[in-house]
Amino acid sequence: MALLEVNNLVKSYGDRTVLDGISFALEEGEAKVIMGPSGCGKSTLLRCLNLLIEPTSGAILFDGEDVTRPGVDVRALRSRIGFVFQNFALYRHLSVLENVTLALRRLKKIPKREAEERALHELDRMEMADKRDAYPAALSGGQSQRAAIARALAMDPKVLFFDEPTSALDPIMVREVVTLINRLYLDNVTILCVTHDLCLARYISDRVVFLDHGRIYAEDLIENLLDRDADPVIDEFFGGEG
Amino acid sequence: MFVEILLTLLKGAGYTLLITLSCGSTALVVGLGIAIARELGGAWISSVLSALVYVLRGVPMLVLLFVVFFGLPGIGFDVPPMLAMMLSLGLISGAYLSEVFRGALAAINPNEVLAAKSMGFTRFEILRLIKIPQMMRFSVPGIVNELTTVLKYSPFAYTVGIPEITKQAMALVATTLRGLEIYAAIGLIYFAIYRLLLAAVRIIEKRYSITGFAQE
Repeated sequence: MALLEVNNLVKSYGDRTVLDGISFALEEGEAKVIMGPSGCGKSTLLRCLNLLIEPTSGAILFDGEDVTRPGVDVRALRSRIGFVFQNFALYRHLSVLENVTLALRRLKKIPKREAEERALHELDRMEMADKRDAYPAALSGGQSQRAAIARALAMDPKVLFFDEPTSALDPIMVREVVTLINRLYLDNVTILCVTHDLCLARYISDRVVFLDHGRIYAEDLIENLLDRDADPVIDEFFGGEG
Repeated sequence: MFVEILLTLLKGAGYTLLITLSCGSTALVVGLGIAIARELGGAWISSVLSALVYVLRGVPMLVLLFVVFFGLPGIGFDVPPMLAMMLSLGLISGAYLSEVFRGALAAINPNEVLAAKSMGFTRFEILRLIKIPQMMRFSVPGIVNELTTVLKYSPFAYTVGIPEITKQAMALVATTLRGLEIYAAIGLIYFAIYRLLLAAVRIIEKRYSITGFAQE
């Protein structure tokens, strides 16, 4: 049974359909990348999956449970999904360590010392332990994103969602973040990542779900997609790369 | 004579400080209450509070003070002078502070709120753990401004019989006819109280300051 199974997911705003019948599955330990042109619904899809945006119709099965049914425990669902955003979204008034421990202490009710140990373990994994007392304003983009990943990992999620994790970074910072996400991929962390970044997609994914105009246009290995030279949609997106 | 005048003025200054602190505290509680209710309440609560703030900001402080102190006894509510100050000056300043807090809340990065939501925090937890701590830091300049305004409106307390410093000065001028010296002296005392409040706020601000917090 897949960890995440999406069946015929639709999201509409009035007459405008942003997601139109999306179906795919994510196995435990699998890493999948969602790619596609701007405005194709990638981020909306990711946000529908942890109910930050309410889907219009369709089913989402997470760990065997239909999370779109009424009365579902949204809080419990979200605490099992780590979410890393494009703009890091670190809490500015908290130090790096406090950013990582906040949810552990307040949501999981873990005692301070234990929460800090766990946070430091994840910060160390992201090579950020030496910045534990720094505030977000003092961090570079790459450091901020690594702290944000540590914050998501500390909750011990079943899956990590990344929403364009490298698009706000310069090339050097992209490399450091990609290297660390790649390490998670090699550790068999389940990953679902929205990105435009071909390099990131190559390093962290098994398969690519390619969206176009709110529909799944293709789902394949990235190499296979890059070989589709004759396909105008895919060729235009990758711009002859590969 | 000089010592006597000084002691009388200092006694008045004590009342001035008391009025400023009690009305300032009322303003903080009212401002925070309105800001929190606007955040957590539905659209109609927000509309009602916006209307209340709109009215309070438009009413002259002295008029509201007279309504509370001289008007309410007419319908059976005797309001003591200090409480009347809190219900007029405190309430009006609270309305202004609620706008300061509204602006500070708007300055919070929505991505941080989204991140907290995605982790499973409730609206109340997000408000308590993310929004209010940041809002208070963003609001320091506005809070100092409002406290200064409260201090400067405190002389109206003499109209309801509180012997604050301006009232004491008026009485002294009436008996000594030394208006220039006495009014200049209370001007200096007001300035000293202002500096005292400022120093207290700066200590609190420093205690909670975060390098680069508001510069991002």
